[in-house]
Amino acid sequence: MVSAATTLLTARNLQTGYRSGAKKIVVAGGLPELLLQSGQLICLLGPNGSGKSTLLRTLGGLQPPLDGEIHLGGTDRWTPATLARKISLVLTDRVRGNNLTVDSLVALGRYPWSGWLGGLNATDMACIEWAIRVTGIGSLRDRKIHTLSDGQNQKVMLARALAQDTPILMLDEPTAHLDLPSRILLMRLLHQLARETRKAILLSTHELDLALQVADEVWLLQSGGQLRSGAPEDLVLNGSFEYAFGGEEVVFDKGSGNFLIYTPQDKPVRITGEGLTLFWTRRALRRAGFEPVADAGLHIRIAERDGQPIWLVEHQGQTREYGSIQKLLQALA
Amino acid sequence: MTASPLKKVRLTGLLLLLLLAFLLDLSTGTVNISLKEMLRVFFSPSTADPTWQFIVKEIRLPKAFTAVLAGCGLSVGGLQMQTLFRNPLADPSILGITAGASLGVAAVMLAGGSMATLYAIKELGVSGSWLIIGAACLGAGAVMLLVLILSRRLRDNVMMLIVGIMIGSITLALVSIWQYFSNPEQVKDYLLWTFGSLGGVTGGQLSMLAIVVVIGLIVAFLSNKMLDALLLGENYARSMGLSARKARTVIICSTSLLAGSITAFCGPIGFIGIAVPHIARFLFNTASHRILIPACCLIGTTLLLLCDTFAQLPGSQTVLPINIITSIVGSPLVIVLLLRQTTAHPW
Amino acid sequence: MANKHRHLFLQVEAFKIKNGLLCTPIDNHVDMYLIRSFARLFLLVFTLSALSCRQVTSDKTSPATGENRPFPTKSRIKYAQNFTLDYFDDYKEVKILNHSAGKSDTLDFLLLPAGVAVPEGHAHAQVIRIPVRSMIVMGSPHIAQADFAGVADRVTGVGDGQYVFNPVVAEGLRTGRVRQVGLETNLNNELVISIRPGVVMTMTNPDAAFGEYKTLLDAGIPVLPNADWLETTPLGKAEWVKLMGALTDREALVDKKFDSVVQAYLHLASIGKTSAAHPSVIIGMPFKGTWYTPAGGSYVAQLLRDAGAGYHWSDTRGTGSLSLSFETVAPEALKADFWLDAGDIGSRQDILAQDSRYGAFRSFQSDNIYNYNRRVNAAGSSDYWESGAVNPQRVLADLIRILHPGVLPADTLFYYKQIK
Repeated sequence: MVSAATTLLTARNLQTGYRSGAKKIVVAGGLPELLLQSGQLICLLGPNGSGKSTLLRTLGGLQPPLDGEIHLGGTDRWTPATLARKISLVLTDRVRGNNLTVDSLVALGRYPWSGWLGGLNATDMACIEWAIRVTGIGSLRDRKIHTLSDGQNQKVMLARALAQDTPILMLDEPTAHLDLPSRILLMRLLHQLARETRKAILLSTHELDLALQVADEVWLLQSGGQLRSGAPEDLVLNGSFEYAFGGEEVVFDKGSGNFLIYTPQDKPVRITGEGLTLFWTRRALRRAGFEPVADAGLHIRIAERDGQPIWLVEHQGQTREYGSIQKLLQALA
Repeated sequence: MTASPLKKVRLTGLLLLLLLAFLLDLSTGTVNISLKEMLRVFFSPSTADPTWQFIVKEIRLPKAFTAVLAGCGLSVGGLQMQTLFRNPLADPSILGITAGASLGVAAVMLAGGSMATLYAIKELGVSGSWLIIGAACLGAGAVMLLVLILSRRLRDNVMMLIVGIMIGSITLALVSIWQYFSNPEQVKDYLLWTFGSLGGVTGGQLSMLAIVVVIGLIVAFLSNKMLDALLLGENYARSMGLSARKARTVIICSTSLLAGSITAFCGPIGFIGIAVPHIARFLFNTASHRILIPACCLIGTTLLLLCDTFAQLPGSQTVLPINIITSIVGSPLVIVLLLRQTTAHPW
Repeated sequence: MANKHRHLFLQVEAFKIKNGLLCTPIDNHVDMYLIRSFARLFLLVFTLSALSCRQVTSDKTSPATGENRPFPTKSRIKYAQNFTLDYFDDYKEVKILNHSAGKSDTLDFLLLPAGVAVPEGHAHAQVIRIPVRSMIVMGSPHIAQADFAGVADRVTGVGDGQYVFNPVVAEGLRTGRVRQVGLETNLNNELVISIRPGVVMTMTNPDAAFGEYKTLLDAGIPVLPNADWLETTPLGKAEWVKLMGALTDREALVDKKFDSVVQAYLHLASIGKTSAAHPSVIIGMPFKGTWYTPAGGSYVAQLLRDAGAGYHWSDTRGTGSLSLSFETVAPEALKADFWLDAGDIGSRQDILAQDSRYGAFRSFQSDNIYNYNRRVNAAGSSDYWESGAVNPQRVLADLIRILHPGVLPADTLFYYKQIK
């Protein structure tokens, strides 16, 4: 077991939102106590408009809370400069061309530590090198920012945040715009960083399945500002996900940890079989509007012949045989 | 972040170019003075023709120094504005500071109504070119104060930009009203002022301008770290510990000092402030303000000296207004640079 | 201090600005275009109606001239180049000419005594009923012309009162008999119409956008460009008093006075021109690095020649001013004996306040700087621009006394003052 986690950030009675003149526009009101602990990767999940970004920006010090207090390292009185040595951010803000090279952008991460005129010492250089190495962007060093792909850009922004060398790292939807492999790689990198550097990493994301895999803790923000936190598995089992995301149109499948695109329909079917073939057959039938049940007039049996799966449809005493899921679906349609 | 050898070579090359441009500006004029005479003026003043001595030392030298100060100040001011607002079209006049100076000048030059004011000021013992400069400084200072007060209340640099442009247009509208009610003669004087001139700054005025511009440049250079951080946008800058309001205040102060004083002493000089930062980024291929600020000084100065040389119109006894030349010479330069740029985003 | 007529030769430039450049900052090119097109049309119509009699000097009288006609004295124009005056049986005809820019546009005016009908073929001429008993004048020289003709009390409106030097008009302004109607660019049309003047005299270039006076013309108020500043000789400029004479039926008095002005001027000029020495002079003061100095064909250059001054740019072409760089003028300025018309300055200190480099001029060191600000009113406006326009002999006498001490009987200067 890793060494005991220390609490880096505590937020109490937090109310997030915006001020417009004298008017307060509350985004999230009844937030419970929020803790960021070292070595933890926390995923902030929630439907669109639930206030994930606002919460992240509030915790990150970019906007003041409407109410409540945020304790950082034992104090809730921090200046932007001290905050910058505690929390680094990766935002959705797109950094445009500006003639910036990857190298100098990452070096900007040393801003809170470098001298008045921005001179860099050996420690600074070492931090920059490390950040570039762990994010694997060494080959991009001399590239201009505006020539990077989205995935590369995200890595560079992460490197900049790592160069800032803060115990807390917050990322606002870092996986947006990335393709699936890049998303997985990024999540794995963050997971490793949390383990190895003992940083507390908070990220907001829509990648439910990835979050369930890597998060030590999930903060589930609902539209309306309620937040449930806990280990991802607990939240699945106690129905929090369904509660947060669920509606008449969207269904969370506890069995797979996924949302179902197609709402189940009233066509019961009994499926027997095993392994992967069973799993994918069920998916296909769901898509086609069937609901797998324990007993039904329609029975699909998965068998094997010459090492290849075959599908046997038993209905009203007749049995037909199909060689692929596609043919099966065509027959059932 | 640090200057590479290549960049040092380029900076040195620019410095040499600047010296050449300075000498070229000194040696050209509507009066023909041979190089021999010129050398005599500097190295053997006792044997030099006093007329040439006057022309070189009292006319050309102050003009060249003014070009150096204005070239540095305007281009660095433009760089700061372009970075602060992350807008390639920003220039030192964008906050309305220049318009403020114009308003001050209009107040003393235009409309019969200001005769009384003028008389009062004359009674106070301020007259001549100092009067115009004083009025321009007051106008620029008033607008700067207004911009600063508003900037404390605004969170966002984009809002700041809009407010600045609005203040500028209000100020210019006031000037237009003043023009409308003025004599053609007065309007002509005012128009002449708006053409800009490097030739009217001498003696005590030059020292005064130099002090203010140097202060503005020092503030700009000291804020190079802030400017770098602002390249990432306000949110990132704030996340790195930069107080957006503080940075804005420092940068606006520096730019106002530069643009306000130069406009007050030389009249509005356009183009340099907007174009030179682009040229500097193109030549040095960097975003680091530690390099861009000195680069802008060198390029801006060289460009303004060359423009002043061109303004002499060889063979003619007339000098074209500098504000016209900067645009005529400079705009094609920027277009050429943009066309030559291989990557898609110059900015 | 922005004196209304800092440099008269600058006025030419100024009017160019007014008619051309001025619209640039105001940003209404379309409006200006319309106004100009209208003015062109206007002028074309005038020109067509006047094609037959395009003569500069007016030695032509009506074929039917008789002894008992209403105009016993007929002024003849000798020096002025920019207007003509012709006498017919029962009316006078004035043409304002414009030779500038290679054009010769003409504005036609009929001066009709009360009750006389507009003669045939003049449908498009402006009609001025004579004698004029009330006039609104925009320029300082107009006031001087009225005073010259002895009708200063008929001035009922001026452009801007603070420039007025003439005591009669100044007193009228105080009592309210004379009204301020605003500058030409911003004329208070309603006030002008309510005054119902016999004529409005403007300083406008005859070629200028005449459309801006359409309201007044529609109201039946004639607008006469009294552009004496177009003249290139001091006597030509002064001769515009004859226009005032014709408008007020005072030709006899005006001709007599003008003849004596001419005599005095020519006498002084013969003294000046033949003087032994021709001390060198510089004129004006640079502004923002550009030195505007009178061109050789300007009336100022003519005055300098007549005064026996050595003026470096005396042989240059052009009737306006030359825009020279400070550097171009500097070799002359450094060694010139005299510095005249140095602009809005009252003391040597003022000169140094403008630019400390002027202290190096010989004229500065030898205290030979003279300005035409001996007679200024409270607002700092100089009578030089007012009565000086019709008294060139006084200006010339001043110049000769300054440049050639002892040549004329000792007397104080009239317009000029030594800058101390």
